[in-house]
Amino acid sequence: MGGRVAELGDLCRKALSGARDDEQVEAYALESVRTEVRARGGEVDALTSASSRGLGLRLIVGGRMGYAWAADPSPEEAAGLLEAARGAATHATPDEANVLPEAAAAEDVPGLFREALAGVEPDRKVALALDLERAAVSANADVRRVEEVMYGDAVSRVALASTAGLGSEYRRTDCWCVASAIAERDGDLQTGFSFRVAREPDELDQEAVGREAAERGARLLGAVKPATERLPVVLDPWAAAAFLGVLASGLSAEEVQKGRSLLAGLVGERVASEAVTLVDDGRLPEGPASSPFDDEGVPTSRTSLIDRGVLRGFLHNTVTAHRDGLGTGSTGNASRPSYRGVPGVSTTNLLVEGGPEPPEALMASAGRAVYVQEVKGVHSGANPVSGEFSVGAAGLRVEGGTLAEPLREMTIASTLPEVLQDVVAVGSDVRFLFGVATPTILVAEMTVAGR
Amino acid sequence: MLACGPVLDEAVVRDVLRTALRSGGRFAEIFAEERRSTSIRLDDRRIEELTEGTDRGAGIRVVAGDTSAYAYSNRLDPAALAEAAEAAAAAARGGSSPDVVALRRRAPAASAPTIEPVAEVPRGRKVAWLREAEEAARSHAREVRQVVVGYGDSVQRLLVASSEGTWAEEERHRVRLIAQVVASRDGVVQTGFEGPAALGGAEVLDAHPPAATGAEAARIAVTMLDGVPAPAGEMPVVVGPAGGGVLFHEACGHGLEADTVGKEASVYRGRLGERLASTLVTGVDDSTVPGAWGSFALDDEGTPAARTVLFEEGVLVGMLYDRFWAGKDGAALTANGRRQSYAHLPIPRMTNTSILPGASDPDDIMAGTDGGLYAKALGGGQVNPATGDFVFGVTEAYLIEGGRITTPVRGANLIGNGIDILAAVDAVADNFDSRPGTCGKDGQGVPVTTGSPTLRIARMTVGGTGG
Repeated sequence: MGGRVAELGDLCRKALSGARDDEQVEAYALESVRTEVRARGGEVDALTSASSRGLGLRLIVGGRMGYAWAADPSPEEAAGLLEAARGAATHATPDEANVLPEAAAAEDVPGLFREALAGVEPDRKVALALDLERAAVSANADVRRVEEVMYGDAVSRVALASTAGLGSEYRRTDCWCVASAIAERDGDLQTGFSFRVAREPDELDQEAVGREAAERGARLLGAVKPATERLPVVLDPWAAAAFLGVLASGLSAEEVQKGRSLLAGLVGERVASEAVTLVDDGRLPEGPASSPFDDEGVPTSRTSLIDRGVLRGFLHNTVTAHRDGLGTGSTGNASRPSYRGVPGVSTTNLLVEGGPEPPEALMASAGRAVYVQEVKGVHSGANPVSGEFSVGAAGLRVEGGTLAEPLREMTIASTLPEVLQDVVAVGSDVRFLFGVATPTILVAEMTVAGR
Repeated sequence: MLACGPVLDEAVVRDVLRTALRSGGRFAEIFAEERRSTSIRLDDRRIEELTEGTDRGAGIRVVAGDTSAYAYSNRLDPAALAEAAEAAAAAARGGSSPDVVALRRRAPAASAPTIEPVAEVPRGRKVAWLREAEEAARSHAREVRQVVVGYGDSVQRLLVASSEGTWAEEERHRVRLIAQVVASRDGVVQTGFEGPAALGGAEVLDAHPPAATGAEAARIAVTMLDGVPAPAGEMPVVVGPAGGGVLFHEACGHGLEADTVGKEASVYRGRLGERLASTLVTGVDDSTVPGAWGSFALDDEGTPAARTVLFEEGVLVGMLYDRFWAGKDGAALTANGRRQSYAHLPIPRMTNTSILPGASDPDDIMAGTDGGLYAKALGGGQVNPATGDFVFGVTEAYLIEGGRITTPVRGANLIGNGIDILAAVDAVADNFDSRPGTCGKDGQGVPVTTGSPTLRIARMTVGGTGG
């Protein structure tokens, strides 16, 4: 990124320089260089390269908070942001919980930044995408083409500075590949999806991603619509991760404080079966969502959320910790989508602890069940406040403890609290999918609706 | 009426396009924009956040053969643009490039006349809109527990110029207010949502008063408190006005976007001219609807807004094209080349998508339905374009018993297949309504509306917990 007028940290510090004595101000800057390559039919379909950066300014005065941001601001524009944030703050409602974190030293996450990725040549990225497509279309006789395959990577840098003495920076590298394969037989058409993230291309295993996408699509060929009934459900890690995504919002102290969490007031209570242990760990070296400090500069940590079925606590940023007033402190879960927004609270790496048995043993113990490999419409079909959900699903029947005919156009419905209590067992096959790591999960009973 | 000059200078643009074609691309384009936005969030009686931002950047596209290379930066200085143009050129190598055609400057366009630009509205008045919505929601019923109101406005100035001579400028003003209400009674918790949005300035909220938005969200949440678990299984489904548009958008529209069709991932591939839907179904995509959330004067490739008929009395007659796929298929441009921002390649997208009104009286449709589900309003949905399988959440639903709307039901989902459902439409009413939303595809969100009259689907799978 030659020719940049200012280093990121300098940009942050300069943005604070006009702060008045009674104002707390934080500057957050993000800079990234990204590449994405999509392949189709053995050719490059699209290649995108991008460089971007921006600055966001949070200003607190008398408990009132205002925010202003700009993409690639000049030094003069950065100074103008302070004025805009000040103007915005005058209209906000005062809240004594509005405080900035004190400066604290954060330890590095080992291996977060890899020179190996930063130096990858464009031709190698193209080859990775083409390899991925080749793997998808050569894994199964019924898979001859893809809906989408993509290799992507990003080299990013985050800088924070505040009037509370904060001045931190870190760099990271991320790469990912995504494959959606199309399986076809006798006029029937099904798609299968797979995905991996890593810190450098050598750790991606694009062959496995292509193969898995093909196999997941092919095994749905000939799917039928099941009859409506209540029976045990086996959620594969992908399906389980989709549900955990809904639960995740209820683990945020922000949602709890606003009365929008179905777990509010239940700390110390049994909210799930003994088979369920859940932690958030922002420092896991292999975790896709790891970082040395969160999006307001607080060091990340490991937080126990559910321990053998018992709710242990919630995730905090500085504001929610202050509001609780228990001296608990932030858990290092401040999160913002980019420099364009105020930090909220979110999970980092959310982990469901695995059990002793492989998924095959779970199916064997269920006998007759539905195995769900894909859920659709979780965001529209699940209510994170009431926990009620009804979502579309695709998967396979389990007969005599093993996978049998494929199923489509079904919905599964229950409530999240019931599902958590009804977890019979979790498998040993824990996998990372985005920022969630989960094994296969066997649930005692759900309504599966079809014909 | 642009407030200031073009986003980029003409000479700079010409140089960038020449650089972009240096390695043999056959087409080069630059999309540059500056977008100023405000967002305000009211949560539990408090103005929590007031944020103002400025985004800017340019994306340069080079097409060589079937490969599209795209490079973007949020710096708009000539050096940064040249760097991006070189990156795009290097990724799309081809044979010999055409010359850059003389840029044909058109008068800048505005998608709708903005009467009262948001830039001239003081922050205090915007904050008052959120308060009005909250007050109306809270005073609607004592069961209302929480109210969240969000406000957003943006002014986007954009420029598209291409090696084929396109020079297009537009200024788009957008306003949106949303209210989310949580109501509870005896341990039962339900939510309601309402969110008008349109092109324009402060006048958008004269047409859609914030108080009405708050009250409507509260009405839905409180109504659903009396809901019983939704039935599950196959049954006749009457879909309320606007709801059928969501269904049409998800179940059919995505499969008619030319990239989906071209990638052989659409069930509609090769079926133009076939009668696929009930003869009662005529559906269109129309970016010329004045002031609609999904409208514009020019699409994000500079093509003037247009109306495209997709189904004519059940026969598939049209598809949605951007420049790339129109060129590939030898089809006419339909003004559906859209992108979320300068950071995205344009792709074929819907705009304002509707099923047009029919001839039936909506009351007669209800009276003629012995039993089933009335899906008054649909929430978000998801579709697999390769198979046409879809699922939708129903945000407001009732049982139909003996031709009458009776008990509210909650947790209902509609699941089915696009072609099957359109073929199963057996009644279309003479009313009409449409709703704004954000449509996501390939990681890009764009504003759209979905519209329809009341209509009935003879049989459809409802997913619910009520057995």
